[in-house]
Amino acid sequence: MAELILCGRGGQGIVFLTRQIGQVLSAKGLNVVSSETHGMAVRGGSINSHLRIGGFFSPLIRAGHADFLISLDATETDNNKHYLKPGGLIVENSTLAEEPGIKRIDAAGLARELGRVQLENVVLLGYAATLEGFPVTVEQIRGQLSKEPREQVRSLNLRALQAGVDAAA
Amino acid sequence: MTQQNNPDVRFLMGNEAIGRGIVEAGCTVAAAYPGTPSSEVLESLVRWKKELNHPIYVEWSVNEKVAFEVAYGASLGGVRAAAAMKMVGLNVASDPFLSAAYLGIRGGLVVVVADDPGPHSSQTEQDSRFFAWFAKVPVLDPGTPAEALEMTLRAFELSEKYQVPVLLRPCLRVCHARQNVSLNTPRPAAYVGPFKKDWTRWAAIPKYRLKLHGELNEKLARIEREEPAASPVLLNEGAGNSIALVTSGSVSSHVRDIVASDERLQGIDVYKVDLPFPANRDALQKIVDEHERTLVVEETYPVLELQIKDRRKVTGRLSGDVPSQGELLPELVEEIVLRVCGKEPVLREAPVVKPRRPSLCPGCPHRPAFYTMRQVFDQAVYTGDIGCYTLGINMGAVDTCLCMGASIGMAGGMSRAPFTEGQTRVVATIGDSTFYHAGVPALVNAVHTRARFVLVIMDNNITAMTGGQPTPAQDFLADGSPGVAVDMERLVRGCGVDFLEIADPYDAEGMKQILEKARSYAFDDDKGVAVVITRRPCVRAPKVELPSDRFEIGEACDLCMSCLRDLECPAFHYVKSEKRMEIDADLCAGCGFCVQVCPSQAIKAKGA
Ligand code: SF4
Ligand code: SF4
Repeated sequence: MAELILCGRGGQGIVFLTRQIGQVLSAKGLNVVSSETHGMAVRGGSINSHLRIGGFFSPLIRAGHADFLISLDATETDNNKHYLKPGGLIVENSTLAEEPGIKRIDAAGLARELGRVQLENVVLLGYAATLEGFPVTVEQIRGQLSKEPREQVRSLNLRALQAGVDAAA
Repeated sequence: MTQQNNPDVRFLMGNEAIGRGIVEAGCTVAAAYPGTPSSEVLESLVRWKKELNHPIYVEWSVNEKVAFEVAYGASLGGVRAAAAMKMVGLNVASDPFLSAAYLGIRGGLVVVVADDPGPHSSQTEQDSRFFAWFAKVPVLDPGTPAEALEMTLRAFELSEKYQVPVLLRPCLRVCHARQNVSLNTPRPAAYVGPFKKDWTRWAAIPKYRLKLHGELNEKLARIEREEPAASPVLLNEGAGNSIALVTSGSVSSHVRDIVASDERLQGIDVYKVDLPFPANRDALQKIVDEHERTLVVEETYPVLELQIKDRRKVTGRLSGDVPSQGELLPELVEEIVLRVCGKEPVLREAPVVKPRRPSLCPGCPHRPAFYTMRQVFDQAVYTGDIGCYTLGINMGAVDTCLCMGASIGMAGGMSRAPFTEGQTRVVATIGDSTFYHAGVPALVNAVHTRARFVLVIMDNNITAMTGGQPTPAQDFLADGSPGVAVDMERLVRGCGVDFLEIADPYDAEGMKQILEKARSYAFDDDKGVAVVITRRPCVRAPKVELPSDRFEIGEACDLCMSCLRDLECPAFHYVKSEKRMEIDADLCAGCGFCVQVCPSQAIKAKGA
C-alpha cells in the first residue's frame, strides 16, 4: 500500500506522470486508483493528482495519509502538504538546497538543457523513482516510456528520465 | 450474450471505461456534446473504435438536445445507442429526454450524464439522479471506473428489458478517476429489427400519452420490485443492528475505505444501492426499521433519503447532518460517519490553501480580444458565456455567465434596461462552439427584435475548454471522417445580421478600428446588432505553429503594471527583489501583443 500526491500548475504534465505510474502497476496486477484534474483549473491553475496503491475504492487521499508528495512547482507544495502523513517525503522541482523531509532537484533546469522545459515532469519522475519506498522502479518506468510509438517523443522522454536518475546519483 | 473473459487489464479513466462498456455492449451509434467531466466518454469511443475496428458511429453533436435525439432516433431504428453529456447538458436535452421516457425505446438507449459535485467545472451541483426521478427514468450510479464499465453493460440490458431509456450517472470522482480495469470481448452489434410504424406510440397525441404514462409507471413499479440493483446490497456486515449506512455512487467508495480503515467503525452495516431510482422502497424501509439509526450518504441531493417513507430514524441531508451543498470529500464523510457513530472525530488543522487562479493561456487569442474590447468599450456591461473565455473575468471583460448561449439572449434584454452613467453599452462575447450550440436562436431573436448591442464571436476554431473537440465549422467529424463545414459567416448573415466584420485579435490597431465601427453602428447610429468575429486558432490546438519570437523588457519600463493588470499574461511576473518586470521565456507563446500595447513601448524582441 502506498499513497502519492502529485501537484503543480495546469499544463505541467501531472496527469501524464500519474498515468505512467498507474499503467506500470496495473500491468503488474496491482490495484491502483487515481484521481486527476481536468477543466478550467488546467488553464494554469493549481492542480493535483492522487494515486493510491492497494485495496482502495476511493480515488482521493485523505489529509495526513500520503507517503509522497511529488511537486512540480515549489509554490504549490504548501497547498498540498497537508496530505502528507507524518514522516512522508516531499520531492520538489526546485533550485533550492535539500532539507530534512524535502528532496529537491532542478528538474526544469535539466529539462531546459535537453531543449524542452516541458520534460521537467519526466525528469522529476526519474529522480523520484530512485528513492527508497517509491512504488515504481526506474526500470519499470523506462519500460513504460519505451512503449511510446513516436520515435522523437520516446527518445526525449527516455533522455529526460535518465537525466533525473543521474541527478540522484 | 455470454462474455468471454479477456485478460487485458488497463489503467482506465472512468469515462474511458464507460466508452469501453458502450462498445462492449454492441452499441453502434453514440452522440455527445463535450463538457467537463463527461468529454472523454466520446473521445475514448473514437479510440476504442480504432483499436477494435468497431463499426460504431460517433459524433460530436451541435448540442446535447441534438445528441440525445440522434441517439434516440438510432434506438427507434433498432440499434443500441448512447448519448453523453454533463449534467447541465441534460437541462438542454431535457425536452426530448422527458418525452422519450413516455414513448419508450427499441434498441437499448443509455444516456451518460456526468455530475460535478463541488462544483469544479460547472454552473450547478444538480443531481442527475433527481432529474431521472423527475423524468421517470431509471438511473444507475457507479462508484468506481471498473463498476462504471460493468454498469454500462447493465444499463443497456435494463433499457431493452423494460423498453425505457436508462441514465448512467457517474460523478466527477468516477469520470476522472483511473483504475486497473479488466476488459471483456465486445459482443456483436445489437439489432432489434427495422423501425415499425405505429403513430399511437412514436407520434402519440395527448390521448395516447396518458396511456403511455400509465405504461411507464408500470415499468418503474416492476423495476422497483424485481430488479436486484434497486435494493440495497450489504457491503460490510457489522455487529448487531445499531447503525446502518446507506450510500450510492462515487461517495460510496470513500465510505468503504473509511469504514475499512477505522476499527471503531467495524460495527456498522454498510449498504450500497446501484440503482437509486426507482429504489426498492420496502427494502430501504426495512433497513431503517431494523436499525436504531440509519445514515444516508449520497451525492448531491437526498434521492435515496426521500424514497424512505418513515424517516424518523434517518440521518442525512434532510435532517441537516449532511451539508446541502459542496462535494462530500473523504475527510468530510469521515467526520460525518464518526459523529453519527458517537466517536471522536479526527482532529485536523484546516490546511491553508492558496490555489492559483486559472487564466487564459499565454498567447491565447482571447486575451488581446478582451484587451482591445476594454479599450474601445470601457465601462460597458459585458455579458459572457461558457468556455475558456469565461476567464475574461480576470480582465474585467466578462460581467455575467449564466449558461450556454446566454450572453446573446441576456444582451438583448439588458440593452433594454436603464443604465447608469458610463455603462451605456452592452457587449456580448461567445465562443465559436457555444455560438453553434445555443447562440444561433438567440441571435435570430436579437436581430428580429432590433436589440442594440455588439456581439463578439471569439472564433478559435475549436472547443478549447473541454480539450479541443471539433466544431461544425470543421470539415471532419469526431473520428476524423469527412464532414461538411458549416461556414460561420454565412450562418451569422443567415440570422439576419447586416454588420459583420472579421478581426485578427493579434493585430491591436486593426481590431480596434473594427470594434469602433461596430460601436458606431450599434450605439451611435442605433442600427441594431453588430457582429465582430475575432479569428485566431487556440494555441493549444493540434498542429498550431506558435511563433518562435521571444521578448524581453527593456529600460523604458516604468513599472506601470499594465501588463500584469490589464493584459494579465501569465508569462509576466514582477521580480520583487530587483524591482523589475520579467517575461518567463518558458511560458511566453510569442504572440507579440504585449509589444503593441505596452504604454511605455518597453517590450522588444529578444536580442534586438
Ligand atoms: S486552451 Fe485555447 S482558448 Fe483556452 S485559454 Fe488556452 S489558448 Fe485560450
Ligand atoms: S508575447 Fe507577450 S503577451 Fe504574448 S505570450 Fe509572450 S509575454 Fe504574453
